[in-house]
Amino acid sequence: MFGRLLWRLVVGSRGRLVMALLAVTGGAAVISGLLNLDFDIEHKLAQEFRLLGPNLVIAREGEGQPQGEGASPALLMDESAVTRALNAMSTSDLAGAAPYLYIVGRVADTPVVVAGTEIKEARALNPTWKIEGSPAEGQCLVGRNVARQFNLAPSSSLQLSYMGRTTNLTVGAVLDSGGAEDDQLFAALPSVQSLAGMPGQIELEQLRVKGQPKAIAAFADALQDSLPAYTVRPIPQATAAEGNLLHRTKLLIVSMVLLILTLTTLCVLATMSALALERRIDVGLMKALGGSIGRIMALFFAEASVVGAAGGCAGSLIGILLARWMGERVFHAAIAPNWKVYPMTIGLMVVAAVLGALPLRLLGSVKPAFILRGE
Amino acid sequence: MFARLVRESFLRNPKRKSLTAAALMVGMAVTTATLTVALDVGDRMAREFRSLGANLMITPQSDTLPVNIGGVDYRPVDEGAYLNQADLGKLKMIFWRHNILGITPFLDVPAEIQGSQPIRTTLIGTWYEHSLPVPDGTTFKTGLSVTHPWWKVQGRWFESGAKECVVGTSLAASYPGGMRPGMTISLAARDSTSPGAAQAIPLLVTGIASTGGAEDKAVLAPLSVAQDLSGHPGKVRQVFVSALTKPEDSLAGRDPKTLTATEYDQWFCSPYISSIQFQIKQSLPGTDVRAIRRVADTEGRILSRISTLLWIVTLAALTAAGLAVASTAATAILRRRAEIGIMKAIGGTNGMVSSIFLVEQMILATLGGAIGYFIGTGLARILGKSVFGVPATPRLILLPIVLGLAALVAVVGSVIPLRQAAHYDPAPILRGE
Repeated sequence: MFGRLLWRLVVGSRGRLVMALLAVTGGAAVISGLLNLDFDIEHKLAQEFRLLGPNLVIAREGEGQPQGEGASPALLMDESAVTRALNAMSTSDLAGAAPYLYIVGRVADTPVVVAGTEIKEARALNPTWKIEGSPAEGQCLVGRNVARQFNLAPSSSLQLSYMGRTTNLTVGAVLDSGGAEDDQLFAALPSVQSLAGMPGQIELEQLRVKGQPKAIAAFADALQDSLPAYTVRPIPQATAAEGNLLHRTKLLIVSMVLLILTLTTLCVLATMSALALERRIDVGLMKALGGSIGRIMALFFAEASVVGAAGGCAGSLIGILLARWMGERVFHAAIAPNWKVYPMTIGLMVVAAVLGALPLRLLGSVKPAFILRGE
Repeated sequence: MFARLVRESFLRNPKRKSLTAAALMVGMAVTTATLTVALDVGDRMAREFRSLGANLMITPQSDTLPVNIGGVDYRPVDEGAYLNQADLGKLKMIFWRHNILGITPFLDVPAEIQGSQPIRTTLIGTWYEHSLPVPDGTTFKTGLSVTHPWWKVQGRWFESGAKECVVGTSLAASYPGGMRPGMTISLAARDSTSPGAAQAIPLLVTGIASTGGAEDKAVLAPLSVAQDLSGHPGKVRQVFVSALTKPEDSLAGRDPKTLTATEYDQWFCSPYISSIQFQIKQSLPGTDVRAIRRVADTEGRILSRISTLLWIVTLAALTAAGLAVASTAATAILRRRAEIGIMKAIGGTNGMVSSIFLVEQMILATLGGAIGYFIGTGLARILGKSVFGVPATPRLILLPIVLGLAALVAVVGSVIPLRQAAHYDPAPILRGE
């Protein structure tokens, strides 16, 4: 009975309801798109912040500075111990790692900082490095300023000396980083270790860990526990900016969602109050026939919920496409659809529609006698 | 006649119009608020990115390479070239001076903490909050607090010019007996042959700094202390600059030498990192100005993504607002079928009836739009304040845009029901069917 009444009601005033439905669908499409974005933006921004490079370092605390010619022994770490500890960590959290051993070598009797590293890993860890040339295995990278100082270009060779030992290197590429790396020479770790006479030793391990500051801190703590002799330190520069930016973007998206919800409610309100005026006669009749006002109101609110749910469903479907398009347009990658979004959107829309139907309560004051007399 | 009809229709039963007007008002308030915030957001987000710190680095063009590991220059202090501290004020005289948010000079001096067993370390002379005199007579407060905001200190930072210092956390931990704020250490330069170099300077430790970089193993002190200790008054080794920039686009990526005169002007007058870099180089000849790519590229890429994102969000909000307003306007027309019936019954043509309603909608749109603009401006203030901590700047230019949008939406919403109304047969409507 209730269902049949509801059906007649919806079909009977479909012209009006289509208008409300249109607004609800539009609102739902935008809201589901935005909520989807809101759930995925953390991941997407974290991807972008990868550009900032390493966010964690492992080093050894201790007194000492580069002693004229290179790292002081008190600062060196055992490469295999670090590698073992890293391998024991979950690989899904670790986006990249590179070991470093710094010495101050000499090229043509001029001191140059030589960084021994896994060049491939170091490049992957620092996506903003601009590399001119394509270094082959075993070739070295020279910073922009080093190249200028010694007139080096890809495939030229240089002689590097350290404490009386020398080695010959071929330049694979010139590196432009806009930072300290411009003044450094990057060579394969084993060759620097043997030149320095420090086999198996490194001074620094740089890591990039995925995730939010909390996840990074947790990773750092776990790693610290497995490497008690060394210190694991986060590089705070990246995490602070990332957190701030994420917070503000999310806040903005949520404000937009709230504004659109208000607007949708208002629009349903307009349609429903128009309907309320028109339905005075129907309500009078229902009351005269013995319908309780509670039952009549339930009917109307059910009608509003139907509009909300239908609009919410249709809007969510459009929202899937919208989120996909937004992701492609902004991040050049689709936004992962989050299925939580759709029930949320439909729920929000039903609430908005029911709130918008509140003016129908005015009908409670309709006196059947007057209506039936035609007043 | 037409005017009177419109006036009558408009003034009679104003309650009926109030809903359309209210929907227009709220819709346009949302529109104004989102547009106002969207116009501000690029700037605000760019400022947010400055928490990444400096994005430009100035070094002297020198004959020797800096022995730079992790940002600290380990060269003997007498080697290589310097920048003049006195020139730094010129940075606030370039075209984009207001975009220069922070300038911090550094002078790294190999030093040792004196004691029964001297401890080798590096003294980093810099500014925390320093008043830099600018050639135009003003001063500019700048230092680490702006260019390296993530450097944290337990205790407090040193006062500019005082005989105080802040000790890096690793150094403090490995110092025999531990290091606490309130202690005094005696610092002397190593390997300095400069005749003006001071012997040893006692410094009050005011805090323990953690930076996550090589500074954790060093002593940070006011620039003047490092200059006195090394015997290089008025000299600095490198300068970090934090500049507010615009994300690079196709113009910014090109070599300025290949640009035409107008393109060059446009390039020069846009706060791209490359043009600010160029302007600094012009005002400080003999220097090498580098964009710190790690920061600058990250910032540029994320900023352009976020601003595209926010424009799309704004557009989506506008579409939703437009749909909502149009559907309300349509409802309002549908409610007045009886009126349309009467007008047609007494000989009104479809065109006449439509124009009366459209003019009425336009008036409503203007009123609702104007009120909505002011409400929206207030809303944008609140929104800007809650999201960015700074109220969004109100923009008068949005008023005509909002009014136009309001009119467009109201008319679009009315056209469909009015076209339907053209098919109405007046007789059944008048009979009340």
